[in-house]
Amino acid sequence: MTRPLALLLALCCGLLATTAAAHKASDAFLYLDNRGATATLRVDVALRDIALLTSLDSNRDGQVTGAELRSARSAIIAAVTDTVRIEDVRGSSCTLRGASWGLSRHSDGAYAAGRWHIQCPQGESPGRLTYNLLFDRDPLHRGLIQVIRQDGEQLAVLSPDQRHLALTGARPSAIGVFASFVQQGVIHLLLGLDHLLFLLVLILPATFRQRPAREGGLRARLSGLVWVVTAFTVAHSITLALAALDIVRLPVPWVELVIAFSIAVAAINTVWPFLGKKTWKLAFGFGLVHGFGFASVLAELTSGLSGKTLALAGFNLGVELGQLAVLLVTFPLLYLLAGHRLYRRAAVPMVVLGVCGMSVFWMLERAGAL
Amino acid sequence: MLWLMALATGLQAAPAPIANDFSDTEVLALLPAGFHDTPDTGNPDRLADRIQGHITRARTAGDPRHLGYAMALLEPWPDTAMTDRLRVLRATLNQSLHRFDQARADLDTVRSRSAGGQPYLQATLTLANMELVRGRYGAARDACNDLTTRYPGLLAQHCLARVDARTGKAATAYQRLASALLQRPPEDPRLRAWVEGTLGDMAAQQGLVTAVTHWQTVLQLTPDDLYVRAQLADWQLAAGQPAAAVALTNGYDSVDPLAIRRVIALQAGGQPDAARSLTRRLRERFDEALWRGSDLHRRDYARFLLDIDNRPGEALDYAVANWRDQREAADTRLLLRAAQRAGDEESIRQVRQWLASVNQSDRRFDLPPSGAPLP
Repeated sequence: MTRPLALLLALCCGLLATTAAAHKASDAFLYLDNRGATATLRVDVALRDIALLTSLDSNRDGQVTGAELRSARSAIIAAVTDTVRIEDVRGSSCTLRGASWGLSRHSDGAYAAGRWHIQCPQGESPGRLTYNLLFDRDPLHRGLIQVIRQDGEQLAVLSPDQRHLALTGARPSAIGVFASFVQQGVIHLLLGLDHLLFLLVLILPATFRQRPAREGGLRARLSGLVWVVTAFTVAHSITLALAALDIVRLPVPWVELVIAFSIAVAAINTVWPFLGKKTWKLAFGFGLVHGFGFASVLAELTSGLSGKTLALAGFNLGVELGQLAVLLVTFPLLYLLAGHRLYRRAAVPMVVLGVCGMSVFWMLERAGAL
Repeated sequence: MLWLMALATGLQAAPAPIANDFSDTEVLALLPAGFHDTPDTGNPDRLADRIQGHITRARTAGDPRHLGYAMALLEPWPDTAMTDRLRVLRATLNQSLHRFDQARADLDTVRSRSAGGQPYLQATLTLANMELVRGRYGAARDACNDLTTRYPGLLAQHCLARVDARTGKAATAYQRLASALLQRPPEDPRLRAWVEGTLGDMAAQQGLVTAVTHWQTVLQLTPDDLYVRAQLADWQLAAGQPAAAVALTNGYDSVDPLAIRRVIALQAGGQPDAARSLTRRLRERFDEALWRGSDLHRRDYARFLLDIDNRPGEALDYAVANWRDQREAADTRLLLRAAQRAGDEESIRQVRQWLASVNQSDRRFDLPPSGAPLP
């Protein structure tokens, strides 16, 4: 039983946790600089990895010395240039002209490093990179590539399933990330009915035309509106930042519940101002809670993304833009409607009732999820 | 705007310069043993031997490159020529890479094809182990019961004891397994070490100091058991013995879980300079792992974020993701600690609810009041 048992134990003892986490899997590092007149490519390959493809350890003693590395130079260069190919934007092959060569270091030790100038036919710029180093010897090998362009930089991973990388187009540049999060902010505000309803009931009092003599004309109401919206914006920006930057955390289900509650309170307050007529205070107080609500959405969008601050800034800007767009459309509309005699007597109570009903429904639904 | 761009791209620093001033005699890299062996992979048994060698090396040296080498040997082998042994090896590889469904499919195939026999035993044991680590105690128990019926003995007892300990019967499981080991000590030191390691875990689960004796026995028998070494280091850290943990992790800087515990021990033991230097290397490794996008380092990275970088919120995200895959005591404890430090009562409640549902208790899950220093 000893040998089969040994086999068995070799497989089962020690758990899966220990294997994968430790040391480091095989990575090569590629840096492609596409900014200047001539693009350059640098490739760093671990000595241990390149020794699989060349006779780097020429005396086969298990040690790679400086002399062995120097004498394997042309073999190493060939191993890299044979498996890393670059085409220009029209699909013609570019050539790699050696610029420098030597030794580099990464977290797990010594790497052979080379730098090449990329020369494409008729001075076109590089359009696509194909990478095939080591995959047949180690399918877990990855090419970690950084592409630097005029408009920013991009990190990507080359794997057996993803051997090509387009070098043109500014996809996930910083500006791109920012823009996409601005868009997400707008979308979330427009689709997040609870924030919209809260905003709606907050601006309702500012549309009333009941006593223009005492409360001033349109100008005074507009300034009231600006105060309310600013208070809401400042408040939710504060908590959104606190939560997104991981300074404060609140349980999401409770935040959602309080948001639903805030809508009902704000709605009731428009017809029966039990919390006072200065709605900006209400807007600020509950705005703090709404910020945590935005943060939970943002957290889902940014998981696994670097540069969270950029995403946060974009997302927040998007929320404000969405809010502004909604106000620009609804406020004039409501203001016009407010001229009708049924507005305050029938339309507003119905809206308030509807909003209250909706928020109570949400509260029940969200309380069930606690 | 510029500062925002800098933040967005700050993940990877500029690479080290290309140097040419190395001497001819300097040894730049050491290749692992057996590096130059030419693989003889013509027949399935020899292929299996080689694959198994790589898996063992990945585990004992903590070197995941060997998992890749094993995969490269296995991939060209035609599916129609798969032997049961190769299938079990493929399952073990997939399990190591957290491809649990693929692993289970191979194990099921082997178990349905060969009733009894060595591959069946191996597949069942691997399955029980995988389900136990994942926290699926019902499935693990089924596999262990199957072992008890077909292969009664210490292996089967050990299998059931591990499931029992995680489902409310830690004390009796510990006693039964300890006396079984005493009555019939196995010849194979690796089986003995495996059982001793489990006994150590069960003792620690009950807060018994005998855990240390069991784990020290394991490390005498098999010093390359990185898993037990990390468990013992955790015990020493929790017991306020950073000097012992520093000694225990000496020479294991290249193994992430042990290097992390070493940094914590160095910090607690008043060696901030050594701690800083090792932290810097670890951070470089994790930055590369983040670039690579591997999800295999989540447990270690969560621990690093929580105990070294002091970023409990992010630590919690990784601990939660890790807990979806692995639910060993260390995973659960890490999640509870991260949630406590991040002030996320909801996560704590969910974990406690799961623990109650499987009737699991563990003294290592008793968290000190927040704010107290804890390794």
